[in-house]
Amino acid sequence: MTAPSEREPICDVGSTYTKAVILDENGKMIADTTIRSKINSEQSAIAAMAEVCEKAGLKDSKELSYLIGTGYGRNKVPFADENISEISCHAMGVHVTDPTVKAIIDIGGQDVKGISIDTDGTVKNFAMNDKCAAGTGRFFEAMARSFELTLPEFSKLSLTAKNVIPITAQCTVFAESEVITLVGEGKATDEIAAGIEMAVAKRCFVMAKKAGATDSITLTGGCAKNDGLKEAIEHVLKLKVVNLKTDPQLMGALGAAEYARQKGMAKK
Amino acid sequence: MKDLKHLIFFEKLLENADNELVRQAQKEGGIALGYTCYHMPEVLLNLGNCFSVRLRAPNTGSIDIATYYMSNYTCEYARALVERGIEGGYQFLDAMIGVDACSMMNRAMEHFEILQVNDKPNFFVSHCDIPFKVTDYTLDSYVRQMEVHVLDELNRRFGVDTSDEAIRAAVKEHNEVCAILTEIGQMRKADNPVVTGYEYHVLNLVSFTCPKKLILPYLRETLEELKTRKPDKKPAFRARVAIVGSEIDDPNLTKLIEGCGALVVSDRYCFGSTPGREIIELADDKPALPQICLHVMQHSECARYIADEKVLQRRETADRLAKEYKAEGIIYEQMKYCDYWGFERALVSHIMHDEYGWPVLSIDRLYNNGNSGQLRTRVQAFVESLEIKRIHKEAEKNG
Repeated sequence: MTAPSEREPICDVGSTYTKAVILDENGKMIADTTIRSKINSEQSAIAAMAEVCEKAGLKDSKELSYLIGTGYGRNKVPFADENISEISCHAMGVHVTDPTVKAIIDIGGQDVKGISIDTDGTVKNFAMNDKCAAGTGRFFEAMARSFELTLPEFSKLSLTAKNVIPITAQCTVFAESEVITLVGEGKATDEIAAGIEMAVAKRCFVMAKKAGATDSITLTGGCAKNDGLKEAIEHVLKLKVVNLKTDPQLMGALGAAEYARQKGMAKK
Repeated sequence: MKDLKHLIFFEKLLENADNELVRQAQKEGGIALGYTCYHMPEVLLNLGNCFSVRLRAPNTGSIDIATYYMSNYTCEYARALVERGIEGGYQFLDAMIGVDACSMMNRAMEHFEILQVNDKPNFFVSHCDIPFKVTDYTLDSYVRQMEVHVLDELNRRFGVDTSDEAIRAAVKEHNEVCAILTEIGQMRKADNPVVTGYEYHVLNLVSFTCPKKLILPYLRETLEELKTRKPDKKPAFRARVAIVGSEIDDPNLTKLIEGCGALVVSDRYCFGSTPGREIIELADDKPALPQICLHVMQHSECARYIADEKVLQRRETADRLAKEYKAEGIIYEQMKYCDYWGFERALVSHIMHDEYGWPVLSIDRLYNNGNSGQLRTRVQAFVESLEIKRIHKEAEKNG
């Protein structure tokens, strides 16, 4: 472990989860944490930093050399030296994890992004959904809730389906109502769940194509852990989704840490 | 940088369509003429005691009522205007001079009439047909439309002098406004400009929405102030961008973009300075009206024109402005459901990247989106990609 001043921490305040990572000077991750975001982004950042510092055996964030905020609440990280958009950070995070990957579908709590990566880990192109929460983590939470399941249970359920019942509504509110109607009609719940995964996968298809993704794609963000969605995306994109070695939910945080490392080195 | 002396006053003028200067002009007997589009020559609405007010819809929240009348698929600017009209925001107008430049605005004008959003007895709404091609015969038609639907109406209803001399006097005043805005605009070419994109946007907007003779003293003073203004030693921006696209009358959008680190150095959008703030050159030996109409047709960058030369003109203008103002990238924006720019943005944002070599960010935006977190993320990511490209280029240069 290197001296405290050589550590590059970051704090990724997402709309649903806040992630914090501490790297050593060689880019090795020495501590990370993921907590549920609070209504106040600043409080989320403080709580996540306290937890990750404790894991790294540090008293507080003052012992750290450079800190970058990213994610939805990036402007509210109180101890950050600067903030970088999560689009740039996810690209860099994936690049340092697996440089062969050239495109990302990032499904966060409140948005879906398609990102294509340049050879140096910077963003080549990106596309993002508009204001509504269709096809995002919030959407999945609402859908799982209507089945009275947890997200992992929901994902598992969708994988057991032999058929897919198409879900026409993209709007979270309308889709929830459509699902309740289908359940009320006695349709198979696994087939409805598979229909929901397919609806989101189609949305991801649009973002990925808009961003210029042609091959070697991966998923990041919390929804990347949803195997049912992964399978649906592979089906619509007709591509094998690359599995990352590191937790895909931490990609934004990891990319920001890499930027912090590059910027810290340039400063020296 | 030190704040501009009149910036807060200018911002206040943009809070309502019937701002302090509009009310003052009306008290002094002025006739307020609303309009919405560059194709309605602004100078023709500033004859005698008339003054033009290019309409915005500040303070409009939900546009549900207008959506009921006009459908979800109508441009949000047109809907916001109707909504504000229904709310009583344009009661001060003496007339609405509409042009049928796009079907969205045409419908907005119709709703102004049908819904009777203004109670004044002499209030009228004009509908001028605007040609789609720049030719001699379309110019004749354009001139005739202006005579019949604007000049004759103003003369008949309000007794306005619409003679050639009156038009030339309005052009003279208009040109002074344009000269000031152009000189301030040129300052944005500097490596470390003394005026921000937001400030310029505010200045340009007040020049469109306030009576010319009342706003001119403030603009003159601001120009002099800027000549001696000292820029910050270290620029607060990380990249320079040009904006190209459809209607923007919300300076908070520029503020949002600049808040993400992108200095807005040039503006090629409806309600911007290109076109809109070019001096109108008039030959003495020809009537003024056809020269003004020709000026508008030639300078218009509206995506409604699909003739080859106009299509090319729009691309060349975007490229030229970005180069002249040392932009590093272009933001192509489009008001949601704007028919013309919907097509233009989707196509040309790729052409500017693939054929002209510009980094381009393409955005589909709402009428009111000052607080959009997602838009902020997109712009910031674009700024970061421009910044990193510059760093890599410099590193390559230095070996």
